[in-house]
Amino acid sequence: MIRALVFLATAAPLAAEPALPRFTEETLTAGIDTVYSGEWEYMVGGGVATFDCSGDRFPDLFISGGAGPSALYRNRSPQGGALSFEKTDALTLDAVIGAYPLDIDSDGVMDLVVLRLGENKLFRGLGDCRFEDATATWGFDGGDAWSTAFAAIWEPGATWPTLAIGNYLDRKETAFPWGSCTDNWLHRPEGLGFAPPLPLTPSYCALSMLFTDWNRSGQPALRVSNDREYYKGGQEQLWRLEPGLQPRLYTEAEGWKRLRIWGMGIASADINRDGYPDYYLTSMADNKLQVLKDPARGLPDFADIAYPSGVTAHRPYTGGDLNPSTAWHAQFADVNNDGLLDLFVAKGNVSQMPDFAAQDPNNLMLQQADGTFVEAGDRAGVGSFATSRGAQVVDFNLDGRLDLVVVNRWTPVEIWRSTGDLAGNWLQVRLEQPGTNRDAIGAVIEIKRDEVVERHEITSGGGHVSGSVGWLHFGLGDKKTVELRVVWPDGTAGDWQTVPAQSFQILRPGRPPEIWRPD
Amino acid sequence: MKQHLHLPRRRFLALSLAVAASPAWAAPRDELAQRILVTWHRLVLELVRHTATYSPPVASRAFGYLGVTSHEALVAGNPGLVSLAGQVNGLSPAPQPSGDTDPATALHYALSAATKVLFGNTGPTGQRAHAALTDQLGAQVADGLDPALHARSAAHGTAIAEHILAWAATDGGATIDNMGFPRDYTPGTRPQDWVPTSLVRQQQAPLLPAWGQNRLFVMPSVTACGPAAPPAYDETPGSEFHATALEVYEISRNLTDEQKLIARFWSDDPMLSSTPAGHWISILLDIADRDGLSAEVTAGVLAKLGIAQADAFIACWAAKFEFNLLRPVTYIRRVIDPAWEPLLITPPFPEFPSGHSTQSGAAATVLTAIFGENFAFEDTSHEDDGFDPRGFSSFHAASEEAAMSRLYGGIHFRFGNQAGLEQGRCIGAFAAALRTEA
Repeated sequence: MIRALVFLATAAPLAAEPALPRFTEETLTAGIDTVYSGEWEYMVGGGVATFDCSGDRFPDLFISGGAGPSALYRNRSPQGGALSFEKTDALTLDAVIGAYPLDIDSDGVMDLVVLRLGENKLFRGLGDCRFEDATATWGFDGGDAWSTAFAAIWEPGATWPTLAIGNYLDRKETAFPWGSCTDNWLHRPEGLGFAPPLPLTPSYCALSMLFTDWNRSGQPALRVSNDREYYKGGQEQLWRLEPGLQPRLYTEAEGWKRLRIWGMGIASADINRDGYPDYYLTSMADNKLQVLKDPARGLPDFADIAYPSGVTAHRPYTGGDLNPSTAWHAQFADVNNDGLLDLFVAKGNVSQMPDFAAQDPNNLMLQQADGTFVEAGDRAGVGSFATSRGAQVVDFNLDGRLDLVVVNRWTPVEIWRSTGDLAGNWLQVRLEQPGTNRDAIGAVIEIKRDEVVERHEITSGGGHVSGSVGWLHFGLGDKKTVELRVVWPDGTAGDWQTVPAQSFQILRPGRPPEIWRPD
Repeated sequence: MKQHLHLPRRRFLALSLAVAASPAWAAPRDELAQRILVTWHRLVLELVRHTATYSPPVASRAFGYLGVTSHEALVAGNPGLVSLAGQVNGLSPAPQPSGDTDPATALHYALSAATKVLFGNTGPTGQRAHAALTDQLGAQVADGLDPALHARSAAHGTAIAEHILAWAATDGGATIDNMGFPRDYTPGTRPQDWVPTSLVRQQQAPLLPAWGQNRLFVMPSVTACGPAAPPAYDETPGSEFHATALEVYEISRNLTDEQKLIARFWSDDPMLSSTPAGHWISILLDIADRDGLSAEVTAGVLAKLGIAQADAFIACWAAKFEFNLLRPVTYIRRVIDPAWEPLLITPPFPEFPSGHSTQSGAAATVLTAIFGENFAFEDTSHEDDGFDPRGFSSFHAASEEAAMSRLYGGIHFRFGNQAGLEQGRCIGAFAAALRTEA
């Protein structure tokens, strides 16, 4: 805590207001009309996955539909132009709650993990935005639950990923559903497929999960954010995973501090630039921003700096409804290319909960030079009052400015294009490694920011049932070049590379960066 | 005496509903009435936990009105029972049915209607649960009952609920804004004044500063039971105030596992439990199950217990904002150790007197008056949360442990706990004096 506050206190004096990004909503013209619908069983969920299924390196879209059909949209946007998507007839499924892209079989074609009310599904990418149901082929037990969280990692030495799936309460309980959280599952590899899932007991109604190397040990742990509305005796969780061993929870004796929130989403980034991942946890009313108190001690003991950082986002900042907020998907991203990570948070009432805001605008909080954040959602044009859930902040038209897609309950998905003039420079990179784990999940990109090194974990999971694989965007401010390197999932650190701004770079182990142009 | 089932509470409830729903299971109506009463209160314990408005004072209010509702629904046609109208502040005589009524049916409709309104702010899962229980128990009370008697009983139960709700609407506590936290608050300027203790934005103002102005159920005034002022604020080592703060600090640094367990067992946090008032309601429901109490007896105890706890919170809150005393965490960090962390999260309102102690003292006094001194019981309230049952030799022993738990938790001074217990015992005596039986 002390270190975190020192960071806030000793950073550069407050500079001018951060550059304001401006977004134009293009939902109607972009050709997207999917609605996340359904009643009680769909009060959570509403995820979106962005990834390239066509091979053109532009991010395509898969959107969950709840009780209605899901949809896969092919990105037809011209580079730098208006957003345009073509709805396909692939992956039209019912009961979809969320989805995450993951190249499970490491064939270089993206696959998709689909979380459902009922049986979860794995779809193998065939190229050209075609998919086949590989659930049975890969021996994946999709179960029959209310699946609401996901994370994936390649455990050390593994040639196949380990999937963690978080489940919500027993949907068949009516009068006394509280305390009925069902088991989360850990699907570990078995050959070219999955072994029967291990129950991650105790389970506390997870709404977000993330494999993260919180202590830079080289061994990612599983962070689970749980909804206290339904668990009894529960709390937030951090599971230690060691190859071949049963997962076990970090305990209070090991420094873990009990935290009980309405956990709904996890966003992670090295916000205070201490080299360790920090975690934004969405909830109802105040949200949390956790930083490791004392990395040198190695204890999983975090301080909440949301209040001094200005990211509690505890109630609407516009619109006149002053009741507490309900937050879902969260994501750090540099939306104004000034070199400082900003924070998007999707908001929306669960359903007719009058103690909480009914008119609850999404947040876009811009980071300032002193490490604090300032709200800009309304001024940037993305402060939607729809009942939002999942989202992704992604550059859909590959112009270096991040766009935004948000899934809403009962009303159509909204999509915004970043259309303002941004003076800051940017860089986008993709990691590609041969063999297994082609997208290098678990790698870290280290980028030099003046005198400090900012670290970015490459993860699969987190957010609110929404995920992305594709270009990794970095704002550079006024820098024309940037130094970066990759620490690959096996721990091998690549060489520092100097790459130019305004470019797309493909980074591979032991090879110089390869530039790619979207034309 | 019935055997107590040691199943986790949620499984026990599911089993009860399933067994009771079986057509082959034909319960006598008096046992059905008791099950209706207990099952609705079990749901209310959950709704308190899962409705954001329901901080501990608000929860105590609901238990007060639901207890009175339960009792009044059974009074009509029962010469052994006495209405609380005229005994509690502002309650007029209840409407009378047009003929005889079935107690189980009247209770069910009264509690369904009252719960629906009192928990109108609960979320979709609470609404769904309320509807499910209304359907499930509604089918049970209708099963085998003469339709005219059923209709008359249902109408009477509904009328009782409407009568109590109309009374409740005028007490000053019916509307809760922003979960009870004022949107504007000017803190005091004296060194002993309460200041916010958390980094939660919503809690930069204290919870429900005007709660002490609500209409009391049975006390003549909020000052009828004190308390006397706390020790004078003093930062001088060796002073009484410094010594009592040092005690909190030293205990916190040497907590035994048992003391930590006690602190957490009685923590009874809002939105993570049924709150302190719900804890004592849970104790009573367990006793009712264990000892096979009748609906008439249980409802009468629920009324007195609910009233005692509701008045305890009103009077305690009046005192809290009269004295506006800072919490141990504020004093200790200011004077003794800037890095000190209490075991429990400090509640967002002034320290003196301890609310849990006040209402526990009141609850223990009411229950002792009814069940007697040295009435041993087992407290299973937090079994679903992973706590083993705790056994107590008497209600007062439990209330004293509840008070000490706040010291172990580092959120109260000893004098705040002691003053709370004394205030609560005095308040409980007013409730215990109410007549529910002829």
